[in-house]
Amino acid sequence: MGIDVGNLLTKVAILDGDVLVASGTMDTTGNVAREIDGLIARVLADAGLTPGDIGATAFTGGNAELADGRGVVEDAVTCVAAAGAYYLPDVNLVVDIGGQSITSILLDADGDVINFMRNDKCASGSGRFLEVMSQAVGVGVESISDAARGATGAVSISSQCGVFAESEVITHLNAGEEPAEIVAGLCDSVASIVAAQARRFTTGDCYTLTGGVTRVDAVVSRIKEKLDGTCHDFPYDPGLAACIGAALLAGLDDL
Amino acid sequence: MPFAGIDVGSLTAQAVLIEDGHTPMLKSIGVRLLSHSIRVQPNPLDSARAVMGELLAEHGLGWDDITFCVSTGYGRDSVQAEGLANANVSEISCHGTGAHTLAPRVRTIIDIGGQDAKVIRVSEAGDLMNFVMNDKCAAGTGRFLEVMSRTLGVGFEELGPLAFRARGRIELSSRCSIFAETEVLHYLQKGVEKSDVAAGVTKSMADRLMALARRVGVEKEVMMTGGVAKNVAVRSELEKMLGLRMLSPSIDPQLVGAYGAAVLARRNGELE
Repeated sequence: MGIDVGNLLTKVAILDGDVLVASGTMDTTGNVAREIDGLIARVLADAGLTPGDIGATAFTGGNAELADGRGVVEDAVTCVAAAGAYYLPDVNLVVDIGGQSITSILLDADGDVINFMRNDKCASGSGRFLEVMSQAVGVGVESISDAARGATGAVSISSQCGVFAESEVITHLNAGEEPAEIVAGLCDSVASIVAAQARRFTTGDCYTLTGGVTRVDAVVSRIKEKLDGTCHDFPYDPGLAACIGAALLAGLDDL
Repeated sequence: MPFAGIDVGSLTAQAVLIEDGHTPMLKSIGVRLLSHSIRVQPNPLDSARAVMGELLAEHGLGWDDITFCVSTGYGRDSVQAEGLANANVSEISCHGTGAHTLAPRVRTIIDIGGQDAKVIRVSEAGDLMNFVMNDKCAAGTGRFLEVMSRTLGVGFEELGPLAFRARGRIELSSRCSIFAETEVLHYLQKGVEKSDVAAGVTKSMADRLMALARRVGVEKEVMMTGGVAKNVAVRSELEKMLGLRMLSPSIDPQLVGAYGAAVLARRNGELE
């Protein structure tokens, strides 16, 4: 079992070997340490398992220290890299867009991490950025792709700073711009920020995209347009990549 | 006949008229100064027209009474193109000139606007030597303090006095305003005193400004201008970090840019 206590979402995945048998997600709240037991129980029930069936558990993510004593803690970069390299052996770049971070991880032919770049200092381009912006436009995060699909153009957003971009969005709304076109502009903006980081590892080969933001198709399709090379899609929900990686690593340690 | 300066900022716009004479209460500046400030409108031309129009009307004057006008700030070139000003000058030069005219001893000006922060170095003669500016990130700008005061549920003007009363101080680990907002909420949920959080916000603001100031170097005397200069806690934290007392402009610190524009208008006008 792998548990990713992220900055915005907490995710649990149970693997049987390398096959995902059950997973679950909840918001990371101040009470996550208590609430996580409920999530684990739900995921176990979905899989028709009991706690005794779990071989090993690993925690990862920004708030993994909450695990205190319940399992090993694996570094988030290691987990995402492990998941990418395991399921997609041709991939040499994993770009992970999480709630409060963007991470590009360069892998060698064996799937080991050569180098990585991470922005977790600034909200620009992260899930939180997209959340704040979609709130400002009045479109729920889950409806971003639908909204962007209806756009005939895209309003360009010049600020990278989340606070300044929020003001810009409000100015565009007041000026009568279509919300759909603003959303399309925001997706362009996130894709540009992500691609700018990923391009610093100029691989041009095969890459994959993971993390919660990659559930937003409108952002993913725009990143693919901007990056050279072929994107190999993660075989499961890409938002679960870190907890699936943690589960894979827990399984290895258990051997 | 007055000389005029118009400064359109991101949040407020200022208009200044100067002419020979004295301003009651402000004899030290050696001119008669009239000023007006408004919240900006989406279009900088509308802001410029409104702020100067209202100032002129208040004193029974018309646009034709202005001898020479300099525009600065957002859309300063379009303000000139529209015929509302005779020339336009960058806000860096206007702040430098304004601060140096008010206090000729000044060599470093720390100007914090609604969406940017600048550190400007001027020579003994008041010429612009060097400057650094942050307008890419809200950290260290007026917007950061605005977001934080909203999160704390206090007015923008209350933030300084609140921080000043603090007995403790939290450490903000995030520079990013969006992440800091979440951090502040968590502290409040845990029951930490608002004043201690406000003190942490103040320290973070001063840290960002110091980082900017170090890039260009600080030489005495230092003057702080812009709306944030009115925040007593940021001011005193910055003085502690710099190890010196800063000069206070003798006029409203938010007027320094428009005042500098009017001073440049006078120099220009007198040359013609």
